[in-house]
Amino acid sequence: MIKIFSQGLAALVLGLVASSAFAGGEIQVKDAWVQAAPPGVKVLAAYLEVKNNGKQQQVLTGVSSPAFGKIEIHRSVIHGNMAHMEHQKELPIPPNASVLLQQGGLHLMLMDAKKPLNSGDQVPMTFVFGNGEKIAVSATVRSGKMEGMEDHQHMDHSAHGEHKH
Amino acid sequence: MKSQRGALTGKGLAVLLIVAVAIAVAAAAFIGSRPGKEVVVKPPEEIEDYLFWEAKELTDFKLTGADNKVLGLNDLKGKWSFIFFGYIHCPDVCPLTMGVLGQAFKLIEKNPAAYQEIQGVFVSVDPKRDTPELLKEYASYFSNKFTGVTGDTAQVDAFSRQMSALYTIHPKEPNSTGDDYQVTHNSTVFLIDPQGRLYGRFSPPQLPNEIAGVFLKIRTFYNERVKK
Repeated sequence: MIKIFSQGLAALVLGLVASSAFAGGEIQVKDAWVQAAPPGVKVLAAYLEVKNNGKQQQVLTGVSSPAFGKIEIHRSVIHGNMAHMEHQKELPIPPNASVLLQQGGLHLMLMDAKKPLNSGDQVPMTFVFGNGEKIAVSATVRSGKMEGMEDHQHMDHSAHGEHKH
Repeated sequence: MKSQRGALTGKGLAVLLIVAVAIAVAAAAFIGSRPGKEVVVKPPEEIEDYLFWEAKELTDFKLTGADNKVLGLNDLKGKWSFIFFGYIHCPDVCPLTMGVLGQAFKLIEKNPAAYQEIQGVFVSVDPKRDTPELLKEYASYFSNKFTGVTGDTAQVDAFSRQMSALYTIHPKEPNSTGDDYQVTHNSTVFLIDPQGRLYGRFSPPQLPNEIAGVFLKIRTFYNERVKK
């Protein structure tokens, strides 16, 4: 008990100084979210950040969730306006680095949704790494943020957010 | 006396010249502003890259939406249409682009006259999986300005080829059990003018304020060019 507590404290302290030498928390899965979609859509995408605080490369080898039949790591590639997806068998995370899965690039392809998901729902996911580590994460269902919406210079924006789909 | 007459003649010539120039300018302005006649005006620099060099007339096509509603070239006339070719099993690029368009439409809504003139059309290039009913649910999720349509391969191609919007349906991965093949598609948003002509395009990656801002400028430019 004391050991667990002190480990937790150590993790907290190390986290605060952004150190990397803590074995138990070398890999972090952060800010996971699922792109909200209409109920009939059975294939969704999830986005997140995988952070490797360690000195060795880590490899994300698989992701699973009870809410989906299958989850794959994909990368969207747009070449000359043509968009396609590349299936990534695994995703290496270099030491002391983060890999971002974000819209229009790397993402988790969530297939065969077991039931429709609404904005605000939580989706449990388990991330498995090459070193055997498993990380459980809860991803929030929401609509994507729109970066281009933040520049309102030329727009009267008084009625923003009043429209329903 | 002689020199005076000469001076008068010179003055008279000058007046004549001015009158002639004035008539020429007025005539040019009159010809230029004849109703229905398209004036050749250079587009402003900030929209030039979004416009096709010459608006391209489209030929009729037939796509189908929910409740067997047919969409053809006549349904595009009288509106500005934003066309996007995709498929529902596309979890990343398609919702991203459709979301951007939906947000752009909200920005355009601040200009009620322009908002009245716009519509979005999501064309599925994957009719095997995307039914018109599912397409309706999908398209309207991003904006009530959106219609979702598809057709058989020949019908989709008859429309998409006019925009050179190529796509490829890939074979399933070898160990795949389900219906999870992939599709490569053009992620450009095409803009069709109220005469049903291919007028402009927004290449990826698009942003809502870019699409809204550029569209409003294109519309102003078009209205000046095609004076009624």
